[in-house]
Amino acid sequence: MGSDIFEFSINGLKIIIIFMMMVQIVPLLVWVERRGSAYIQNRFGPNRVGPLGLTQLLADAVKFLTKEEFVPQGSYKFFFYLAPVVALIPAALAFGAIPLSIPIQVEAFTMMGRNWGPYTFPFQSFELGLGVVFVLGASSLAAYALLLAGYGSNNKYSLFGALRASAQTISYELSMGLSIVGVLLVYNTFNFTEMVAQQSGPLAFKFLGNDLLISWLPNWGIFYQPLGAILLFAAFFAETNRLPFDLPEAEGELVAGYHTEYGGFKMNMFYIGEYGHMLVASALMTTFFFGGYTLYPWLTPESLNQALSSFSPTQASLITAFSLHLVFLVKVLFFLWIFIHVRWTLPRFRYDQLMDLGWKTMLPWSLVNAIVTAVIIVLMRSHWS
Amino acid sequence: MSTFIISNLWFYVLALSLIFFAFKVVTSANPIHSALHLVLTMMGVAGLFFHLNAQFIAGVQVIVYAGAVMVLFVMVLMLFDLKHEFNAFAKGLVSGFLKLMSVALVVGYLVGVFLESGESKGVKASLTTSGDQTSTQLQVTRDLAQLLYTKYVLVFEVLGVLLLVVAIGAVAISRIQGGTHAKH
Repeated sequence: MGSDIFEFSINGLKIIIIFMMMVQIVPLLVWVERRGSAYIQNRFGPNRVGPLGLTQLLADAVKFLTKEEFVPQGSYKFFFYLAPVVALIPAALAFGAIPLSIPIQVEAFTMMGRNWGPYTFPFQSFELGLGVVFVLGASSLAAYALLLAGYGSNNKYSLFGALRASAQTISYELSMGLSIVGVLLVYNTFNFTEMVAQQSGPLAFKFLGNDLLISWLPNWGIFYQPLGAILLFAAFFAETNRLPFDLPEAEGELVAGYHTEYGGFKMNMFYIGEYGHMLVASALMTTFFFGGYTLYPWLTPESLNQALSSFSPTQASLITAFSLHLVFLVKVLFFLWIFIHVRWTLPRFRYDQLMDLGWKTMLPWSLVNAIVTAVIIVLMRSHWS
Repeated sequence: MSTFIISNLWFYVLALSLIFFAFKVVTSANPIHSALHLVLTMMGVAGLFFHLNAQFIAGVQVIVYAGAVMVLFVMVLMLFDLKHEFNAFAKGLVSGFLKLMSVALVVGYLVGVFLESGESKGVKASLTTSGDQTSTQLQVTRDLAQLLYTKYVLVFEVLGVLLLVVAIGAVAISRIQGGTHAKH
């Protein structure tokens, strides 16, 4: 955590702020979702409370908090209360391990009659060597929230929703993992920061022993793994239980699926979990395929460092980190908008179509993608002299 | 010194909770409670791997066992009507005897570990070296992969074939037994 009180408290504060970021983006996304759906369906949407209906979210929050608290008769009380809490944990853990910008370098300074040594604060809750493995592991636990909710409610609709959710999650986790294999092969690392560092320059690669450089394109993963990007994004839709993969809460058949029996803030916590997963999915897409927090050629760590040479090193590092963080946020918001747009554009799958898509279409394609990527990498990186 | 104490404390907390969860897996009468405790046991094992600076194995443990295999277990258990099994496991001489035997095994194992614990100093020395840097972790993963595909490649492939055989066997049995995909 840190060697002295300053580093310790900053790191603790960082964990809280990044968690609050995840929680606070939920009301905004709900607003965008409701206004966006209204825009797509040629309606007005919530526009009465406050400017553009923005304070509707506050009214909703108050409503959620003041609703009557109840547990259905015959439910398993412990599981019923546990499920909404479990729904929050995987997304929060996974989001904490993704770097949101470059680390902030703080030079040595004096404060309160003491010298405080130089620090490096990574712009994420905690830094792990093998970030990709950790994020995959944490988000693979999301199915338990739905299972516990479905089982704990002791309601047939809830149980059906939970069973559908777990079958769907297992099916699509395979193609998700396999399409990430291609990404790992291209970058040759498990670390998010190193991945983004490799994407910050112009498009450059080795082809049959020759070095090729295309200076007007960024070195983004999408140019190396287009099929992997499409497969991964589709698998993320299934993992987040969003339309067209929202079979677990299909309201036409299952009332509301796994959260039929939940009301008030407990149901809101499932929503926070779902939007948290969307946020993690968007952040992963950005980091793997769209340059993370860099935007070649305008906003990269090198170009910003040159432009900010008149500032002191600490100030320059702070400005660089926060402007790169803005770049990251804009990219993530773009993907979140795609999530919302798809939800209000596509109809829901039938269950056999869902399973066919997962096992008979996406799994073979992602396997082929991984194998072809491995073969091409061996061919391109070998010496042809 | 303080990090050493915290690290040891962390180990004992993990180890004790692991033993407790594993105990509950065996003694719970409700199969779903057993399965959920098994999930916690898997996570505890992953935590131990993480504690030993084996981040890759910890992650894979969570992804494969806690995230995929146990989700399947819990799902299948929820599909069944388990009242009969619940009654069979909650009382009866045979199941009581089995529970007692497994508790005795766990206790015997614990005693054995305490008696033999003097001889593992070599392992301890290699584990105390710090290795949470990115490059170290990558190197550990790379070494693991190289061992898996050179020295242990035969075992690895045989295990793969075994899993394939099990999968085909499961499909064959389910087709013989009837159901939606029955062979007519």
